[in-house]
Amino acid sequence: MRAVNALPAALRPPGRVGAQSFADVVAEHLDAVYRYLVYLTGDRAAAEDLAAETFERAFRSWRRFDPRRGAPRTWLCRIAHSTAVDWFRAEARRQRREETYTRDEALLEESVFAEGLSPELDRALRRLTPAEREVVALRVLLELDGPSAARVLGISTTACSTRLSRALKRLEEEMSHVRS
Amino acid sequence: MSAADGFEGYDELVAELRANPPVAPESLRQRVLEGAPGAGRRASGKRRLVLVVVPVAAALAVGAALVHGVVSSGSHGAAVVGEALGPATTVAAQGSAKSVHRTPARPRPNTNLSDAGVKAYLPTHLNAVTIPKDRIVHADASLQVQVSSHSALSKATNEATQIVSSLGGYAQSVQYQSSRSGDGNAFLALRVPVGKAETAIGRLGALGRLVSQQVSTKDLQQQLTHRTNVIGSLRRAIAVYEQALKNGSLSAAERVELQIKLANARHSVTEQRKARSATVASGATADISLTLTTNKNGIVGPTHHGSGRFDRLLGSAAGFLALEGIVVLYALVVLSPILVLGGLGWWLVRERRRREETRLLASA
Repeated sequence: MRAVNALPAALRPPGRVGAQSFADVVAEHLDAVYRYLVYLTGDRAAAEDLAAETFERAFRSWRRFDPRRGAPRTWLCRIAHSTAVDWFRAEARRQRREETYTRDEALLEESVFAEGLSPELDRALRRLTPAEREVVALRVLLELDGPSAARVLGISTTACSTRLSRALKRLEEEMSHVRS
Repeated sequence: MSAADGFEGYDELVAELRANPPVAPESLRQRVLEGAPGAGRRASGKRRLVLVVVPVAAALAVGAALVHGVVSSGSHGAAVVGEALGPATTVAAQGSAKSVHRTPARPRPNTNLSDAGVKAYLPTHLNAVTIPKDRIVHADASLQVQVSSHSALSKATNEATQIVSSLGGYAQSVQYQSSRSGDGNAFLALRVPVGKAETAIGRLGALGRLVSQQVSTKDLQQQLTHRTNVIGSLRRAIAVYEQALKNGSLSAAERVELQIKLANARHSVTEQRKARSATVASGATADISLTLTTNKNGIVGPTHHGSGRFDRLLGSAAGFLALEGIVVLYALVVLSPILVLGGLGWWLVRERRRREETRLLASA
């Protein structure tokens, strides 16, 4: 928050008197976007890069953002989703090019999602697909409501609920499997 | 999340997830704040382009229409007047209105005037309208006559048809327009024998105040003489062919050739006779277009005689804008299938990307 208070004037778009400035948005939602991207990619380094890119994109289109059409968090998550999908595409192309993709086992031993998570939960999360982790991140971690999460994912609210239900059940199953 | 809380340990799981969220490192926060682009990059290029291009295109279209209006209104008025006044064979009677106005005690129009009476009634220079009677001539006349009221208009319309009937002619069409608030107009297409055309023109012009008059003649005598000569030549040729065919010493080939020539000559004679008949018919009658109006300026129809330059400018500009609209509409009609196909292609690509995205996130 200290850094936010020392923001350059350029980060405060003119003509939006009474509205939230971009600096306020960064301060309020950076953690949420980062969490979302960590869960979606399962890679902290990538999540950092993608979060930076997300906010750069968001700043470019900040003037077009209309708060009446959705909350800033939903808007940012939508941009983050798009940015992450591009990253996944690039990763897939890279994997195809290199043909083999072996993850560093040492890295897998490290906690990816959060320091305080139990090893079982961390491993179970790694076993989920990005789509499953994404919906868990949006609904559980970021606590977005159903319609907002559905808008970020580009699916219906019902499909979003179904995906969340399946993701959590699978998470529970994976945890049981890891424990046993 | 009610859909998901159907298994044991759900609450603990959610609590653990929420209790240990990943926290953005301070380095990322600094990076986001410091790496934010400058204010100059904020504006959307596409939006700015649309905001500039659309008004500029509209301004250009309107400007072109105004320029066209200015240019054409400057020359158009003179051209219209020139048409009204007509070339050498046209007699314009714009001045006659003035002379009538200068005569308050103008006699009431009399439809039963004799030829001499008509010539005496008309202004002097209108008496110069002469249609040759010793030659075959086709005459076209156009008259604009102003009448005082709607009832006079109705009366003058009836009188006009009576005049041509009495002269051995007839009314081809009569179009009568009258409204309680606006001006009344009557458009009559009349046909009279050429020999009576001058009388008819004079008497029709006397139905009210003669605003304008145009008379044009086309000499058909030379054409008629030429056709008569051609028919004579063909007849002589036919006689020669018929005589030759009576000769018994002709070979079969020569006979066939002569028969063909004879048939062609007979066919040509028939065609030339028809054409000569049409020429004679055309020279027998004169077409008179009579416009009766209650408009005080005597202006009816789409002419621009009395309108100011500003009105003509507006009219030309509006016409040019309409033309531009037609061009744009035409372009849209032509381009619409391409646009539809483009839209379909865009939708297909979007759907494909969406499916690919779903597959990517479900399998990565």
